[in-house]
Amino acid sequence: MSAPFLSIARIAKSYAGTKAVDEVSLDIAEGEFVTFLGPSGSGKSTTLYIIAGFVEPSAGEVLLGGRSLLAVPPHQRGIGMVFQRYTLFPHLSVAENIAFPLRVRRRPRAEIADKVDEMLRLVRLEGMRGRRPGQLSGGQQQRVALARALAYDPRILLMDEPLSALDKKLREEIQGEIRRVHVETGVTVLYVTHDQEEALRLSDRIALFNHGRIEQVGDGRDLYERPASAFVAGFIGNSNFLPVRVVAAAGRHAVVSCPDGFELRGVRVAARPAGAEPTLMLRPERLWLAPGGAGEGIAGTVVDAAFLGDCIAYRVRTGWAQDLAVRTPLAALGGAPAGVGQEVRVCCEGRHAFLFAAL
Amino acid sequence: MPAPGAIAVREAQGTGLAGARPARGARGRGEGFAPAVPALALLLCCFALPVLALLLRSLLDPRPGLENYAALLATGTYYRVLANTFLVAGTVTAVTVLLGLPLAWFLAVAPAFWARLVFGIVVLSMWTNLLARTYAWMVLLQSTGVINRALIALGLVSAPLPLIDNLTGVTIGMVYIMLPFMVLSLRMPLAALDRETFRAAALCGASRWQAFWRVFLPLLMPGLASGALMIFVMALGYYITPSLLGGTSNMMLAELIAQLVQSLLQWGVAGAAAFVLLAITLSLYAVQVRLFGVRGAAGG
Amino acid sequence: MLLDHRELGAWRWLLGGTALLLSLFLLLPLLLIVALSFDSSQWLQFPPPSWTLHWYAQVFADPDWLSSLRASLEVGVSVTVLSVGIGLCASFALVRGRFRGRAFLRAFFVTPMILPSVVLAVALYGVFLRLHLNGTLAGFVLAHLVLALPFSIIPITSALEQFDGAVEDAAVLCGATRWQARLRITVPAISLALVSAAIFSFLASWDEVVVAIFMASPGLQTLPVRIWGELRQNLSPDIAVVSTLLVLGSAVLMGLAAMVRRGASS
Repeated sequence: MSAPFLSIARIAKSYAGTKAVDEVSLDIAEGEFVTFLGPSGSGKSTTLYIIAGFVEPSAGEVLLGGRSLLAVPPHQRGIGMVFQRYTLFPHLSVAENIAFPLRVRRRPRAEIADKVDEMLRLVRLEGMRGRRPGQLSGGQQQRVALARALAYDPRILLMDEPLSALDKKLREEIQGEIRRVHVETGVTVLYVTHDQEEALRLSDRIALFNHGRIEQVGDGRDLYERPASAFVAGFIGNSNFLPVRVVAAAGRHAVVSCPDGFELRGVRVAARPAGAEPTLMLRPERLWLAPGGAGEGIAGTVVDAAFLGDCIAYRVRTGWAQDLAVRTPLAALGGAPAGVGQEVRVCCEGRHAFLFAAL
Repeated sequence: MPAPGAIAVREAQGTGLAGARPARGARGRGEGFAPAVPALALLLCCFALPVLALLLRSLLDPRPGLENYAALLATGTYYRVLANTFLVAGTVTAVTVLLGLPLAWFLAVAPAFWARLVFGIVVLSMWTNLLARTYAWMVLLQSTGVINRALIALGLVSAPLPLIDNLTGVTIGMVYIMLPFMVLSLRMPLAALDRETFRAAALCGASRWQAFWRVFLPLLMPGLASGALMIFVMALGYYITPSLLGGTSNMMLAELIAQLVQSLLQWGVAGAAAFVLLAITLSLYAVQVRLFGVRGAAGG
Repeated sequence: MLLDHRELGAWRWLLGGTALLLSLFLLLPLLLIVALSFDSSQWLQFPPPSWTLHWYAQVFADPDWLSSLRASLEVGVSVTVLSVGIGLCASFALVRGRFRGRAFLRAFFVTPMILPSVVLAVALYGVFLRLHLNGTLAGFVLAHLVLALPFSIIPITSALEQFDGAVEDAAVLCGATRWQARLRITVPAISLALVSAAIFSFLASWDEVVVAIFMASPGLQTLPVRIWGELRQNLSPDIAVVSTLLVLGSAVLMGLAAMVRRGASS
């Protein structure tokens, strides 16, 4: 194996004693789209700004193609970046904004003109070249920012929550644009967001940050189906977290006991425990309802049933203190949906359940 | 390369990394200080050190000791100057507040055209050279000036009123100069008032008079107090208008300082007087900052 | 009720009347100056016996007035250029810098504005006498620069604060050095604040009297110093002429500043 394209090695950054970034390491391949996902304050943006060169790490190293990036001042790093806020140069036109990095590099006039045209085509703003940033919508501004960041063929493109100021519909539209631009240019993208759906939609791999550390790295399915920790399980998708008693455990599988004595077998044990108490995680969409009475499953009573269009969301009261959330897709619904007050059994396959416990 | 250092960076969520820049090998001083050096050097050499030197002279000139301060407080003429200064500054402040409030109030409620017109007059007056304005009052207040002749023509007085070369003249001239500052400093507090508050007061049964005393004035009090303090401080240190309209026998503190240096060459007493003026100014400014914040203090 | 013109009822007339009187109080002295400058009587009679341009001709033919006008312009322009330049640099340090004592420095830079100018005047007079800077253009410019600097630092720092530093960072990532980014991106973006800093710096020097009196020599007098000298001796119609020109100048600069402000808000 040759050295990775971009290598983040044990970087750390603390402010006044608190660790904003705590020994983060990650290797990124050329052309990959990697998203830093996490709640605010988890260290994902700081990591991005260390790569950009606006923050100096207290420790660690960033290598690009095997060479240290930290020794290079930001304006020579050749990194493109799209910021959270609109950062177009207000006194320059769209075309002048895109041309700016090339002018700074003193490229020949003809080359600049060609590149600007190419970039305007790439982000589909050919008709806007003479406009000032103030005359553009937020979505258009971010597309110009994207074009400007790509105009000098950067080796890496950093994006810091570029869509957070846009409304939902526009956000989805520009997400599509970003995907297309990534495919067309093949640029390596590091993308920061706190929106899990955006991360799942865009990325090849997701690095999930929490308290300055990376909890887990993987593609969307990995994180969803094989969460390494309760935090990952809780952050990606919806989950029921339930206290259980572990009856038996062998290797990475366990048998757990639910409140009314029902034993769920073949439960997968996660890599890292959540805390002292064994906790069972059940995805609402992996649960289904069977008619009440004897049989497999956890006995309970439906206390709420809401029709959400593509599915029915139930709340079921069981022996646990908290109600269970259950989602049944319309396609999986046999007959009439269960009504409020109906006795049911909540069923689950062990391989879709996760146990967080120190075994 | 800008000097490097530690930068506080907060995570995402609308917080800025504005100005965060490459930092290698942090130094204790922090970074980005260098561009302030020319301004700092200028203010140290041509402001802080000369003022300090003047204050030192009050303790050392002609010999070390507090005799200059004793002279300032014990000598009758000096003492009268201090009394004059506070009397004029106090009167000017009170009158300016009384006149400034209705004018600022009018600007806040008047139809756009009238408000813009009156505001233009206020600003024009403020921006006109101080000497030009003082000159106008020197002409107006003379015993043969427009005001006295009008009063005589109307039969209101039989002999010209002594309006110039006394504290009356100083007060009129200074009110004229301070009024625009008061009006401008009341603009923000008035704009911050919500007209619904007064509709609510009316619905609660308050008459206009009651609403004025119980709602309007209390809500405006911080703005009035802040403006009044600012004007008082400015009036204490005024030199030009008092010396032109007050004549030689009604000196104020700033004029005394100038005279001590220019005509009498008594640098020690001048330093002591400057220290007194400076101490009062800075402590009132501190009160201002404490009560109303820096923005209120810098207003106007 | 008290904040709506229509709901003020009878109070509206009371308020309007007071405002009218106060407006006249503010305006009439300015008009009087203008009228006196055209007054044919040398003894400042009002209303004037007849109108004349004689005093204007006299002022424009007087080498003393012209030389003080030149002095005022020389000092004012030098102060403006230096004040905006030094103020711009200092503002970058105050807003974008990260060093200890930044807040203190910021307060220190605007203290000349709140200090009674007679204290500064006397203090500088003492020092400049020894350095033989009194009565020199350099001394004048340095003294006025101290007073003008706050007028440049205040608008520039506030514009810099409103201008998103991330835009500057974006320019740096585009390949510009930090100072290139500031010069090519930030400075043009805050150009209106720079114009306003220039206008106010110029006025701070142009209208300044107290410090100027102490800095002046018989050979170097700015317009206000010259007027001051005249006022102490007699009330000649020349002063009315010069004052009128100053009122006119103020009005023009005021209009310019208003235009800048309107440009900034749009």
